[in-house]
Amino acid sequence: MTRVVTTLLGLLTIVAVAGLAWGDYPVPPGELLALLLRPAEAPPHVEMIVVGLRMPRLALGILAGAAFAVAGAITQAIMRNPLAEPGILGINAGAALGVMIVLVGLKNAPAYLAPPAGFVGSSAMALAIYLLSWRNGTSSLRIVLIGIGLGSLAGAATTTLTAFGAITDVQRALIWLTGSVYHADWHDVRMLALWLFPPFVLTFASFRQLDLVRFGDTAALGLGQRVDLVRAMMIVLCALISGAAVAATGLIAFIGLVAPHLARRLVGPMHAKVLPVCALVGALLVPAADFLGRAVLAPVQVPAGIVTALIGAPFFGFLLWRHRNAAA
Amino acid sequence: MSTRVPVGADRLRLIALVTLCCLLPLAAIWSVSLGATVLPLDSIINAIFAFDGSRDHLVVAAVRLPRVLAGLLVGGALAIAGAIMQAITNNPLASPGLLGINAGAAFAVVFTMSVFGTGAQGSLVWTAFAGAGAAAVLVSLFGSTGPMSGTPVKLVLAGAVLTAFLTSLTTAFLIMDRSTLDSVRLWTAGSLTGRTMDEVRAVAPYMLAGLAAALVFPRQLTVLSLGADVSRSLGQNPVFWRGVAAVIVILLAGSAVALAGPIGFVGLIVPHIVRLTVGTDYKWIIPFAAAGGAFLVLSADTLSRLLFASQSFPVGVTMATIGAPFFIWLARTSPWGRS
Repeated sequence: MTRVVTTLLGLLTIVAVAGLAWGDYPVPPGELLALLLRPAEAPPHVEMIVVGLRMPRLALGILAGAAFAVAGAITQAIMRNPLAEPGILGINAGAALGVMIVLVGLKNAPAYLAPPAGFVGSSAMALAIYLLSWRNGTSSLRIVLIGIGLGSLAGAATTTLTAFGAITDVQRALIWLTGSVYHADWHDVRMLALWLFPPFVLTFASFRQLDLVRFGDTAALGLGQRVDLVRAMMIVLCALISGAAVAATGLIAFIGLVAPHLARRLVGPMHAKVLPVCALVGALLVPAADFLGRAVLAPVQVPAGIVTALIGAPFFGFLLWRHRNAAA
Repeated sequence: MSTRVPVGADRLRLIALVTLCCLLPLAAIWSVSLGATVLPLDSIINAIFAFDGSRDHLVVAAVRLPRVLAGLLVGGALAIAGAIMQAITNNPLASPGLLGINAGAAFAVVFTMSVFGTGAQGSLVWTAFAGAGAAAVLVSLFGSTGPMSGTPVKLVLAGAVLTAFLTSLTTAFLIMDRSTLDSVRLWTAGSLTGRTMDEVRAVAPYMLAGLAAALVFPRQLTVLSLGADVSRSLGQNPVFWRGVAAVIVILLAGSAVALAGPIGFVGLIVPHIVRLTVGTDYKWIIPFAAAGGAFLVLSADTLSRLLFASQSFPVGVTMATIGAPFFIWLARTSPWGRS
């Protein structure tokens, strides 16, 4: 566990330095260090580029990555399905719809309304999924299917807006939807950190409940867990975390799917270990994807969400292939 | 399943099928006559058989008739594709929309248009076939787990992930290329707006070939729907016939997407309703699904034209509004949703 965490932190440092140093105006690592140690002596344009532009971008990537990863870990635990993630369950589709309504549907809506709209969308979607799957209690299978159904309904509404909105608004909204950390500033970072703090604490505190719920309803009930209550609580936490992250960065795909798997591979299935490692993996993946996105095709910046989809989808295929003989 | 069905039941089904097939032209004529100018029946008939170049005749021949024909073809094709997919996967949730086949075809078309800049969507039918085929291979590789053991939910999850992946790739191309975005955004929603007779003519042969093939092999499809073990013990080669069925599906779904974009839920709802009413014999399921799908898409398109008084409301959205509640109802009531 210690070794895993140290390695991940080391990798994160490398990605962070690379992300801060690389760009149209390269800042060599030595200069970076000098800037961090003696900020007063640094030339102002370097400080502006590193502290004002690249650092918030990095911080936002780290926070959002951790958030998507933890939301994915919660979803996989409560659905007892290694293939579930908030994006596939339709929770993110709700967030997308909320944002599209603000950016495309409303005339002249201010852009700062988009994040709260995404948040409201994801929470409403989580609530609707839970309520509709209620039938003498919930079942994880039903939640998955109803999530897919409601997700495509929200998708249809999003598509309508795409088809009829003004073309510039639509393009802006599509860029937002693919998930990126281009326009990060310190205000975004502070907001996201504040939003994430309480649900993260609650999630990490309930690692035992997540361990229990994985064994199945009957076993968990037998061990004294109030299964439906825990599931409802966890869905709320998941919607809070994933809604806040989607609101800040848009839909960065596949992190919620990939990070928990990597974490379980590294430290085993117990959530006391999985949750922190998984958050760390997510925090590593999004800045790395962002770095790749702006380094590979420079000067074109590929949104981080597209890079994660390009890498995440083949990985997902590999997962399905490897689990092919396990019961779903 | 060729169990002994009472002759009366077959006769009842035949009457129902004939009635449905008589309803179709009526619905088509009704749909052609509606719009900004409401046209009388005789001018529609004249426009088809004695075209004189007048404004009314032009409206019928160039705008409304292609749209109606496209709706009929696409609906029938998607419904049959769904019915066949449900047979070969033994999965009540299989359909071109949910399993990512439509998304594959759509991505292939957007990719080609954006990279090579081809204009009309009807000419991209082979690209759509390739995309649909690749998506079908991927989803069955990942979702089915060797013979017989793919569970419905796993296949659907694999389809959902494939759809999410392809949709984000499609979006990636569209945000880099505003002119393609502008010309295909209506089409990516699933739309019959602005189809021309040439486009319909370009894909119709493939659809009709798929339909004919599906009508020729109903017995094999019925046996396939009983699962690989039963099919083998009845002397069928399930792998071969699954391949044949998959080719038919790709033909039908690919050409439907090339013509009208990815329209979801037709391939899910129609076969379900058909199975509930006419039973599990594919001799009946295929023709009923064809007629039912054509009827559903045509009326959905006509209704949204009427309700929103807009020629360009995408029928894909109307279908999702009808289909998603149906899917949720299925998930709530079906036995495999209960575990």
